[in-house]
Amino acid sequence: MAASGVWGYAAISARVRAMYADLLDPQDFARLSDAPDLPTLISQLKPTAYGPSTEGLKEGEVTPQKLLLQIKGRLADSYNSVIHQAPGNTRSLLLNRYRYYEVDNLKAVLRGILAGADWENIRDILFPFGSLGILPAQAMLETGSIAGAVELLAGTLYEEPLSFAMRRYNVEQNLFSLEVALDLFHWRELWQATKELRGNDRAQAFKIVGALMDMNNLMWVIRYRVYHRLSEEELINYTLPFGFRVRDEDVRAIAAGADIASVVQGVYLGLSDVGALLDEPRRGLPQLEVRLKRHLMDQCISAFIGDPFHIGVPLAFLVLSDLEIQDLTVLIEAKSSGMPEEAYQPYLLRSVAPVRA
Amino acid sequence: MFFPRTMSEIELIVPSKDMLAVTKVLSGYGVFHQTDSNYPGVASGSRNTWQEDAAVYVTLERRIQLLMQVLSVDDGQPPAAQTDSIVELDALRPKVDELEGEVKGVSEELAGGRKRLEQLESTLHQLEPVEDIDVDISSLREPQYLFSMLGTIPSNNIDRLKTSLARIPYVFLTLRSDPVKPVVWLAGSRANSDVLERAARSAYLNPLVLPEDYQGTPAQIIADIRNSINQTQRNVDELQKKLSGIAESKSGQLRELLWQAHTSRVLADAIVRFGQLRHTYVITGWVPADRLDVLTQRLRQASREILIEALPTTRHGDIRNVPVALPNWPILKPFQMLVTIYSRPHYGELDPTFLIAFTFPLLFGAMFGDVGQGLVLAILGWLVSSGKIKPLKSMASLGLLIAICGVSAAVFGFLYGSVFGFEEEFLGIKIHPLWISPIHNILQILMVTVGGGVVLLIIAFLLSIVNGFLSRNWGHLLFGHTGVAGFLLYISFLGLIGSTLLKLPIPPIVFIVLAVISGLAVMLSEVLIDLVEGHRPHFEGGVGTYLIQAPVELFEAVISLLSNSLSFVRVGAFAVAHGGLSSAIFILAQLASPTHGLGYWLAIVIGNIFIVGFEGLIVGIQTMRLHYYEFLGKFFTGGGLRFEPLTLQPAEREESPV
Repeated sequence: MAASGVWGYAAISARVRAMYADLLDPQDFARLSDAPDLPTLISQLKPTAYGPSTEGLKEGEVTPQKLLLQIKGRLADSYNSVIHQAPGNTRSLLLNRYRYYEVDNLKAVLRGILAGADWENIRDILFPFGSLGILPAQAMLETGSIAGAVELLAGTLYEEPLSFAMRRYNVEQNLFSLEVALDLFHWRELWQATKELRGNDRAQAFKIVGALMDMNNLMWVIRYRVYHRLSEEELINYTLPFGFRVRDEDVRAIAAGADIASVVQGVYLGLSDVGALLDEPRRGLPQLEVRLKRHLMDQCISAFIGDPFHIGVPLAFLVLSDLEIQDLTVLIEAKSSGMPEEAYQPYLLRSVAPVRA
Repeated sequence: MFFPRTMSEIELIVPSKDMLAVTKVLSGYGVFHQTDSNYPGVASGSRNTWQEDAAVYVTLERRIQLLMQVLSVDDGQPPAAQTDSIVELDALRPKVDELEGEVKGVSEELAGGRKRLEQLESTLHQLEPVEDIDVDISSLREPQYLFSMLGTIPSNNIDRLKTSLARIPYVFLTLRSDPVKPVVWLAGSRANSDVLERAARSAYLNPLVLPEDYQGTPAQIIADIRNSINQTQRNVDELQKKLSGIAESKSGQLRELLWQAHTSRVLADAIVRFGQLRHTYVITGWVPADRLDVLTQRLRQASREILIEALPTTRHGDIRNVPVALPNWPILKPFQMLVTIYSRPHYGELDPTFLIAFTFPLLFGAMFGDVGQGLVLAILGWLVSSGKIKPLKSMASLGLLIAICGVSAAVFGFLYGSVFGFEEEFLGIKIHPLWISPIHNILQILMVTVGGGVVLLIIAFLLSIVNGFLSRNWGHLLFGHTGVAGFLLYISFLGLIGSTLLKLPIPPIVFIVLAVISGLAVMLSEVLIDLVEGHRPHFEGGVGTYLIQAPVELFEAVISLLSNSLSFVRVGAFAVAHGGLSSAIFILAQLASPTHGLGYWLAIVIGNIFIVGFEGLIVGIQTMRLHYYEFLGKFFTGGGLRFEPLTLQPAEREESPV
């Protein structure tokens, strides 16, 4: 087993280690944070691994959206590279994880249709999914109707979840039902792909995918309860009964009206002051999400310790890359709008170290 | 046969009054490849009228085709009567309108009937799982004391739905199990209907639409629906019959109208591309030289005042616009298809079809040599090409290729002494190879096939030189990688190997000098070609870069000569592999039945089917690869323009005999 692990992961492990070393170090991150404006931030990005992504951008025409699109392209390249190099039995899991961005694209297209947006407006906000994508995004948008767009997905894996949800959409005329159906479908598929792995791959994947799922499940149930004020039965049906730390009992307890802070602190023992965060949910919930993501980061970083020949390492690297791009998104948006450091820093997942002279 | 058909360029000046008659001759004879003579300054107002007319004819043709599709009437053969003139729109349109009116009502009614049938069947499908429930459906629709919901739910959501209802009493039954859309029934106290409703909705339980216009138990309703289905089906059948009646009575008229619209559209399209002067039309195009006299004669019969200027065409110079017709025999059509898939020859070069017709079966047969399997392939190919296997009718030309390759494989089977993989004895008959058994003479067969490859490459070099000469492309002829310099480099390498291994009477120094001179010519080919063509040498990126690039290019040329030659070793390797695969099948057969019983012969038959199908496909691909990458690329440029004569017959093609 161990021999097959070494055999299967030798190449990808080396590749992922090299890519992992390319992630921004604390000094890079501090320099980016210190940049007074967007052009300076872009020039600070050039010596990093994101440098090539900024090359295609014409000076004076750079918008945060275009810059982010280029940066996300790097994540798409990482996914493509890892998926193609990964052992055959793990590709389904990686591809399913990658489809997370496709589901996001699908939701963006559906929202675009309702907003009557042009393809030119939507194109730049879609994740550059690449050749693995199955979404006829432009054709969907050009149908101008949700029903027409969903019809174009016939024969794809999205047909089934959307066929059920469309009945509700037709009655309610609200994208909520479609989006929830897509989310639940995506995470179920990802969990199923994780369950199909064997041995150490399965155990390591459960840790990463489970941690992702914990965060999502918890944030869903809290948001649906706090913002949408949904009933217990709806909360249960809109969440999933699996995860790594978060048990179904925890989700059901929140759904049943238990104190959210004590449930969350019971699951994540290191988290404190959750109650205070929830006193003012509009500000507090994003803060809670940031803290959960930091836990996720720690979980991913721990995958690089010990036996390197399992799927947890590439998976953790991809999640870390995604989280890094989330930080870059905060910085780019902040710098382009001239936001002071104290205003955006709470939303960063990584702490900013002082720049060495 | 070795060149595309010789073409003549013609220019016609036609008086306006004879324009239609001349157009009819040009399109009726099917040898005139029209070019656009409607250049700026020539066009006048009437062109727009023809353009509009052509667009209307296109629409009419489509409408007629649609009607024929609805009525399931095929295009049929063009009518025997002379209908090669433009039919006035005013005459054509009312007839199409009338037919359309007649068909439209019935076809719309039929579509409505089919839709109702679909709806009824869908309702029936929904109700069938609850057929056994002995309650009035209206009570399920609006029960007084019960919350009841019958519907479909994503199977993944069932457990979650049950969890969400854990706090209240409920009944949940799966009425029909289905991996995707199970039919379920959820019921509970009416007092909990809010909870049940929310839970069902959030679990995406889609309620079935119970038919409002039916009363009684599900079983009674199902019986009613089945009656309605039968009734609707009868209506649909009647309407279908009515349409068939219309089809039968109007098919002749429809085909005639289609032909008229098609002819008018083709003629109008052609006229749009004529140049119009004040009282005359200018028509330009290409005609196969051997048909020029007959066409001229027919044109003069159609118009006494026509001016015809025919210009001879050379095979060199600016020949990009000359259309290419390939006059090959029907038996060579599959090989012509192989060539045109790669590229259509241009007007000035040799058509390699004839050569490929020889080399393709040769290489295939050498790799797949077996009498029995070859004959099986030949018979299969013949069946496909004869159109006897209806689903494969469209692959008729491929069938001929398979048949020829099968015959070649059978011939090589005699040479290799192999019948269905048996190499010493087959059904009591002793077998001896007429030439060599590849699996027992591996090195020898590999050497022979590399030698054969060298011969093919030499032929390719010579053809490249001939093509260079024909197109007067002196630079490439002398210094190109596949020109004289490249050829001499190749020959010098062969000579060096020959003088070392075979002790040729020519001393190696001769070949070394030849290799150095030709190598230098190949290395500096870009500069030398520029000089021969009278241009100033162009060094892209500067002289320094060029001096670095040039030796690398020479190195690449040498490597590719070597790899091209060695590539043919696969022919021998496949011949050996074929024998090896057969041996493996015999081992499996022996394991299946050591006493040579039924299992043995079954394994032999299945193994042979596998070899014919799988190895046959691989060998076919390898043969194509050798031709496309190693052979054609050496001398064949391609890029020719397809000869597409103006014709009224929809099925006519450029290469059909005229």
